[in-house]
Amino acid sequence: MKLEGTNTLPASVETVWKTINDPDALRSCTPGLKELKATGPDTYQATLQIGIAAVKGTYAGTLSISDKRAPTHYKITLEGTGGAGFMKGEGSVDLEAQGSGTLLKWTGDLQVGGLIAGVGQRMLGGVGKMLIGQFFKCLEERLGGSA
Amino acid sequence: MSTRYTGARITRNEDPALLCGRGLFVDDIHLPRLAHAAVLRSPHAHARIVRIDTRRARAAGGVLAALTHADLGALGGPLPRLIPHPALVHHKTQQALASTAVRYVGEAVALIVAESRYAAEDALDLVDVEYAPLPAAVRLEDAAAPGAPLVHEDAGTNVCARYTQRVGDVERAFAGAPRRFRDRLVMDRGTASPLEARGVVAAWDPRARLLEIWDSTQAPIPIRNGLAAMFGLPQTSVRVVAPDVGGGFGPKVMMFYPEEILVPLAAQRLGRPVKWIEDRREHFVATNQEREQIHDAEIALDETGRILGVRTVFLYDAGAYCPYGLIVPIVAGTTLPGPYRVPNYHCEFTAVFTNKTPVSPYRGAGRPHGVFVMERLLDRAARDLGIDRAEIRRRNLIQPDEFPYDVGLIYQDNAPVQYDSGDYPRCLGRAAEMIGYADWRAQQDTYRAAGRYLGLGVACYVEGTGIGPYEGCRVTVEPSGKVFIATGVGTQGQGHLTAFAQIVADHLGVTPRDVTVRTGDTAAFGWGTGTFASRAAVVAGTAVSLAAEAVREKTRIVAATLLEARPDEIELADGKVFVRGVPARALPLGEVAAAANPLRFAMPREWESPGLEATRYFAPPRGTFSNGVHACIVEIDPETGMLSLHRYVIVHDCGRVLNPLIVEGQIHGGVAQGLGGAFWEKLVYDAEGQPLTTTFMDYLLPTAADLPCFEVGHETTPTPLNPLGVKGAGEAGVIPVGAAIAQAVEDALRPFRVRITEMPLSPARVWELVAEARRSA
Amino acid sequence: MKPAPFEYHCPRTVDEGTALLAKYGDDAKVLAGGQSLVPLMNMRLARPANLIDINRIESLAYIRDDGRTLRIGALTRQRAAERAPQVAERCPLLRDALRLVGHAQIRNRGTIGGSIAHADPAAELTAILVALDGEVTARGPKGTRVIAARDLFVSYLTTSLDPRELLTEVSFPALPAGAGWSWMEIARRHGDFALAGVGVVLAARGGKIAHARIGLTGVGPTPVRPAEAERLLAGRAPSEDLWKGAAEAVRAAVTPDGDIHASAEYRTHVAGVLTQRALREAWERVREAA
Repeated sequence: MKLEGTNTLPASVETVWKTINDPDALRSCTPGLKELKATGPDTYQATLQIGIAAVKGTYAGTLSISDKRAPTHYKITLEGTGGAGFMKGEGSVDLEAQGSGTLLKWTGDLQVGGLIAGVGQRMLGGVGKMLIGQFFKCLEERLGGSA
Repeated sequence: MSTRYTGARITRNEDPALLCGRGLFVDDIHLPRLAHAAVLRSPHAHARIVRIDTRRARAAGGVLAALTHADLGALGGPLPRLIPHPALVHHKTQQALASTAVRYVGEAVALIVAESRYAAEDALDLVDVEYAPLPAAVRLEDAAAPGAPLVHEDAGTNVCARYTQRVGDVERAFAGAPRRFRDRLVMDRGTASPLEARGVVAAWDPRARLLEIWDSTQAPIPIRNGLAAMFGLPQTSVRVVAPDVGGGFGPKVMMFYPEEILVPLAAQRLGRPVKWIEDRREHFVATNQEREQIHDAEIALDETGRILGVRTVFLYDAGAYCPYGLIVPIVAGTTLPGPYRVPNYHCEFTAVFTNKTPVSPYRGAGRPHGVFVMERLLDRAARDLGIDRAEIRRRNLIQPDEFPYDVGLIYQDNAPVQYDSGDYPRCLGRAAEMIGYADWRAQQDTYRAAGRYLGLGVACYVEGTGIGPYEGCRVTVEPSGKVFIATGVGTQGQGHLTAFAQIVADHLGVTPRDVTVRTGDTAAFGWGTGTFASRAAVVAGTAVSLAAEAVREKTRIVAATLLEARPDEIELADGKVFVRGVPARALPLGEVAAAANPLRFAMPREWESPGLEATRYFAPPRGTFSNGVHACIVEIDPETGMLSLHRYVIVHDCGRVLNPLIVEGQIHGGVAQGLGGAFWEKLVYDAEGQPLTTTFMDYLLPTAADLPCFEVGHETTPTPLNPLGVKGAGEAGVIPVGAAIAQAVEDALRPFRVRITEMPLSPARVWELVAEARRSA
Repeated sequence: MKPAPFEYHCPRTVDEGTALLAKYGDDAKVLAGGQSLVPLMNMRLARPANLIDINRIESLAYIRDDGRTLRIGALTRQRAAERAPQVAERCPLLRDALRLVGHAQIRNRGTIGGSIAHADPAAELTAILVALDGEVTARGPKGTRVIAARDLFVSYLTTSLDPRELLTEVSFPALPAGAGWSWMEIARRHGDFALAGVGVVLAARGGKIAHARIGLTGVGPTPVRPAEAERLLAGRAPSEDLWKGAAEAVRAAVTPDGDIHASAEYRTHVAGVLTQRALREAWERVREAA
């Protein structure tokens, strides 16, 4: 499914760029991320426990950053497989200065496969968007702002 | 032969046990040391298998075996091709377990056998599979287009077949036609959803050298023969039993599903019986589906609405493999002309591989598509020519004195489509009368004045049934006087245990309750092809009748010896055998049976064989054609798109009716499935080939609360093609439903000028169509 | 579809139940009616290491009517509430909506507390709780607390309950005397999840609407209370134009998700249609009661 959104962050483009490349920030803001271990430049081994309420799946996979055009653009990919199926999220992030802050535009493609796709279609889109929203809210708070 | 029971509306022999929970389904089979299997299925629609490692699974508690393709040996090759066809260039079948690639979500990748199904499912999580996902060909039109990802790389294309059937000269007909109408008609994927999903139990006895299999299949004999060949066993060393089966509807005819190979193999290797029961989620991905076709169709007529020609070019979604060949699209194309005179006809289809569950026939098997196209074209013509829709049909119907009527096509059994009997105008007239067609416009106006939108739809069809190659039956009278018959077809709810008993009862002068029918056990009867294509009553039923008739004649010969009379003087009635006119000197039928099997002394030569027993076969040279008309009244709420079904009328002609109760049950079930396919049931796959409707939460089956009472009228034009005059009725109910509903919804929404060219509909879709029509107005 | 292994616990009292929840926290799930949880477990979408079966805690099944509030114990079966005379008398909106919750077989086991705690985005009871400004009582390691409906529903299947809290009671304010009500929903089949659903209460005074309460389900991650629509109705004389205006205000207040059954546009549109019809029916009932 295709998702997109924009967020306004209360920090300069350079600060935001540093944050979204910072493994600590990624580790603490990615919903459900239990483990993030660097395995190479811009590549990490990831363990995710993601879901909603009782419906939780553990996914083991990778997080990688590519197509870097500092300090305004990159692509971030998170994919994993687990008992409940597999997931792959690919996001394209663009930063634009807006006054003293930054306008962050993201477009993403979220693929969910296996068991959860066959049973959860009613809520997958909404939940996906919500989790991505949580990610950006966390970033925002990290950068010292509020909604 | 008396006809006291044949044709009678009697309750079914099978029901007391079934209704009291004493049926025997495959999950009721319990054997000592039974082990349980679970299947690891691909989560990807298309991927290479890079690596499979079952070490962790094998080490898990309670696990007895973990098989992958590498463990299959000689059984690892592609499974048999069921129905080859010269046009089927790429006749791809799957392997029992995937080796290098998976091509649909649900494809079997590994088999785990454990002490319990719980432990087996725990172990599924421990099988490590590394997949390299590949692009998937999902949407039918995308898959057919050049440059699409290839489902089978070595085929070089996703087109597995192209086939054309022609009658007359359609180019000339269209060129000279005063009126031409075209439409694009889309029908979406659906699944049969039997109450009981699939299941297999296998046991190998090395001392008796007997492989016993219980399989929820519609065709146990071909399974037996196929397994014997694959396992290198004599056919007599393999027994396949289809016990009580909770619905088949087509998808349970296969040779083979992977599990039908894997479970017996596991049983042999482990030396323990193994059971695999398909759960509902598996069923939604691992049991064959159907219904997806896209037709670009055209009709040419003269100004009076007479059909000059029909042309359809369509895409057929075969799924990832096509074990069942081209039956569905061939049936669609040969059903399309229907009860109408179509002097020029062109039907061309392209069968396309997609990365979705494989396709094989589901009740109707393409007939619903042919009817939907034809009826929609006629409705379009009726509207634009200003001719009443029942009238335009009347003007084109084949008349009762035109039989046998050669349509000019070749049917799925490779024989000509030749309608043998029927009275099409009479069925249409009766349906129109039952639904109140004559008064409809006035009634509709009254509803409209009250702000309600009701519509009436009527649709006609002809159905090919009763095809060969053959079926057989053995009838035996035991010394108790009870009669036991065995036949090769299986039973999944069609009432064979009653209908066949009725036929036998009339021949032998007993009651249907005295007759026990055994179906679906290769040890009881080993020749036959199975229950499909609306053929069991026709083909097996005729064999039953021939065998019972032969036993009757034998009874007369034996009784003649015993009663010192001539055979032609002997009568059978009320369980007794006597000389005509001398009922006081009667022998119970059982006594004659006992006498026919002497223990000592010579057997009279005229008896030829011991006992009151005979086996007969019926091999029809071609099928016989049933027909019918459905009419319905629906109400639509244009603000919400919600549909209410007010009335549903079915007039059908299946020739001689063996038991109206059973035929009505068949029709009700078919109509319910047809209505499901019209407004509720749709299998949805996302762009990556992930199935999104794998539970009944999202694949919606209409329930009794959603459907009206059905009104059934029987018409009877017996067929000359078998001694019973019987035609098939198994699929009839489902065939014209989509067409009737489409017409009714259009009629209801006439003020909005909505056109229905797709199935299924939904409230949201109806609302969208109304909104679109409003916008373009 | 067999569940993954789990430990089974069967407390007999609320204290035993909360003690287990305190011990296992995130690794536990409460089993009440099981109509949502058991399928999730059988499909292995939920794999709680501990299942806390509260069906033997009899003290949690009750319906108390103090004249102004219906206090329903969490373990009360939906079918029992549907048929309870106190519910019919004090809150017929709840009774009408309960009739549309699944099928009777499901309601025989499903509980009032379970439905609220599960917080399905298309549930009927959650929308009614929000519309009527109801409350729930929960007991946990820090004691007992009351949570107002507006603070309870956070997102899809998510409430503000702590995993170590046990929901013990759901309370619905009684409808005002002489009020009219209506519950309307669109579902593809009898018993299906609503594509959209609306509950409406109209309190009347002097032939006009004193105040209106509206709750919607199926139009977002949590039930929606359309404040603007309620404001539009307060103090006004009833009319078709008024219902239409309220319907438009409701449409502006909802942001539903689309899915394979119905698009977001359809749900938004139908939310308005249902609101209009429900208001009409509610006012009819005001007139009948008068």
